Amino acid sequence: MLAATIRRTPFLGRMFDVDESTGLSDINTWPAMMIMTSFVWLIVAILLGVLMPVIQLAELDTNLFYSAITLHGAALAFPFLFQFMMGISLHRSGGCMGKSASGPLTTLIYICMNGGAVLLTLAVIGGLKITYTVMYPLPLVGAQMGQWSMGMVVLGFTGIALVLTSMIFLYPIQILRMSFFGKQREDLLLSARTLNDPGMLGMVMSVMILLVTGTPLMIVAGAVLLGLYGLVPLEAITWATEPVVFQYVFYIFAHNLMEAMAIMVISAVYATLPLYLADGTRKLYSNKLANLALWILLVTSVTSFFHHFYTTNPGLPSALAYHGNFMSWATGVGAALSLFTILATIWKHGIKPEPGLMAILAGFVLYIMDGVNAMVAGNIVVSYQVHGTLWVGGHAMMVLIAMCLMWMGVLYHHYPVITGKKLDTNLGNRFVKYYFIGAFGLTYSFAAGGAMGMPRRFADWSAGPDSWMMVGIAILIFGIFLTVGFVTYMQNFLKSRAI
Amino acid sequence: MLDFLYSTGWGAFALMLFFHIPFLIVFPYIVYRKCYVNTGPSNTDPRKLSRLEALWLIIAVGLFIAANVYSINYLPMVKTSATEASGAVIQDVDVTARSWSYEISNRQFEVGKPVRFSVKSVDTMHGFTVYHPNGKILFNMMLIPGLEKASSLVYTFTEPGKYKVRCLEYCGIAHHAMQDELTVVKSGS
Ligand code: HEM
Ligand SMILES: [Cu+2]
Repeated sequence: MLAATIRRTPFLGRMFDVDESTGLSDINTWPAMMIMTSFVWLIVAILLGVLMPVIQLAELDTNLFYSAITLHGAALAFPFLFQFMMGISLHRSGGCMGKSASGPLTTLIYICMNGGAVLLTLAVIGGLKITYTVMYPLPLVGAQMGQWSMGMVVLGFTGIALVLTSMIFLYPIQILRMSFFGKQREDLLLSARTLNDPGMLGMVMSVMILLVTGTPLMIVAGAVLLGLYGLVPLEAITWATEPVVFQYVFYIFAHNLMEAMAIMVISAVYATLPLYLADGTRKLYSNKLANLALWILLVTSVTSFFHHFYTTNPGLPSALAYHGNFMSWATGVGAALSLFTILATIWKHGIKPEPGLMAILAGFVLYIMDGVNAMVAGNIVVSYQVHGTLWVGGHAMMVLIAMCLMWMGVLYHHYPVITGKKLDTNLGNRFVKYYFIGAFGLTYSFAAGGAMGMPRRFADWSAGPDSWMMVGIAILIFGIFLTVGFVTYMQNFLKSRAI
Repeated sequence: MLDFLYSTGWGAFALMLFFHIPFLIVFPYIVYRKCYVNTGPSNTDPRKLSRLEALWLIIAVGLFIAANVYSINYLPMVKTSATEASGAVIQDVDVTARSWSYEISNRQFEVGKPVRFSVKSVDTMHGFTVYHPNGKILFNMMLIPGLEKASSLVYTFTEPGKYKVRCLEYCGIAHHAMQDELTVVKSGS
């Protein structure tokens, strides 16, 4: 039935029509459904992305800008990229562990993610303009000031809570269930992997991070939500409604969410790269080094979130600021090890330049570039210069764009198994080219804006020197390249032919 | 040189390029070579590769340490305590931020006289960012309402002029209009 729903979906259905002849429906259909739905969010949100510089250049309504940024950020981070990643990861886990990726839990993951995102979207359309980081207590203060209604706050928070439930509890539990419990089904086992394998280790690590760092946020957000519903008196939950409490639990999660997504994608890269080696060895340069890189990323990322608070000093005690500075750069050591492992693997065995692998490697280049950008901003002194500017807005966006390209490469690899169709090499190469040019340009445009002191989430670029608007034009141009990259990727799916 | 790297936005950009450029040369070069020039496996001695591994780690970690150690003297906390220790008279300024304006206890300062900015927000998250007349950011603060300690640092202006203040934390539909101005005059005038 689900496969039929996909088939009947206009436009996107043709791209993700599942091959039911292989008996792999249990690991293909739900992942295809998630990936297809994530593309709906992508299409809407990327248009909003392009709209933002247009609003600024044409000096349109500032309210429109703040609505656009809220939806753009929220839709791309959660129902697009996270859902896209969940789809691919569920398929990968299923095929590597020989477990079904469907069932009630998966259905619930899907409903919470998309239902929640729809509610949040409605709230934004209804006037709630809080950006994807919520900026708590802004939702409440804004309602008190009449910027939007309390009803929209309740609606928006309900949506956010559903999305978070999907990401923090349901999806991690599903991955853990598939990794550790249940009987293996031979018929679903595509390429067996154990947890010693870097390609699988990262998957489990990342869901543990989501569970552990997300639970405090769920507790606080849950309490706030009960207060908003009027189920508990607000005086009873002052411990949760404190802005400082909310900000800290929020960033403990939000920072680690990004790290978890990075660990998961690097792990997928470790799994995919060996399949494209020229000499057919199918081995990384060193599994030990690859695993070590993942462990370093895991350990250092957990407490580097303090870098979000440097500029509140002495509100953030200096010692914790130094700790955050150290951990932020130590994350770079993990990245340096990944870099070495990947280059040494390529050097030792040679590679086949196929579009899927090229997308992964291009995405990895963007990821390292963005990592440097983030690390530099993770220095306390630099943070006092660039915090709150486009530099950090650019980092938030580019880390997602980089991971997205790696996932797109990984999907390129799994696509034939899911749909039984083959992709075109020329279109594949063209997509990587446009996407990379766009993303590369956006990285430097946002960083340059930050270097010029251009604020992020700021609806009036014309208030600054002319150079701010030049940055805006650059964002528009490179944004169009990136969009063409996405369009080409989808065009390839549309034109794919049965094997 | 260090002044440029650690007290301007373009310095941060330069620091980023310092790491980007070698990476953007080496990574694509190796990928290109192994894709198109010599796709076969290279029979590099494994011992050589592990020596390279160690060397690479030492260089990377060394550079990471250097980039941070050189920044220590530019830390606002370090500069603040150095000014306090020097015995100079510090002018105290209290700032209260609310949507969408600032209450500032004093908006006029003298060149060369250290000023301690203590900034609080009374409603939602705000920022307090001071721009040099030439448009570059001098420093940046984030204000979380309810935080017991005000965000604070000591800054000494070096040039007279009009200094713009902007809020850099998104704070609602008029966030972009939340600004103010400080005036710095020559000492003794
Ligand atoms: C067509 C290409 C795109 C363009 C032109 C574009 C443009 C923008 C602009 C102008 C901003 C606001 C910057 C600010 O004022 O702080 C922004 C923020 C953001 N973008 Fe994009 N974007 C594009 C694609 C993407 C993609 C593909 C993703 C994720 C996969 C993404 C994720 C984000 C995020 C997370 C933010 C931060 C939102 C916030 O700070 O609240 N963008 N983008
Ligand atoms: Cu403000």
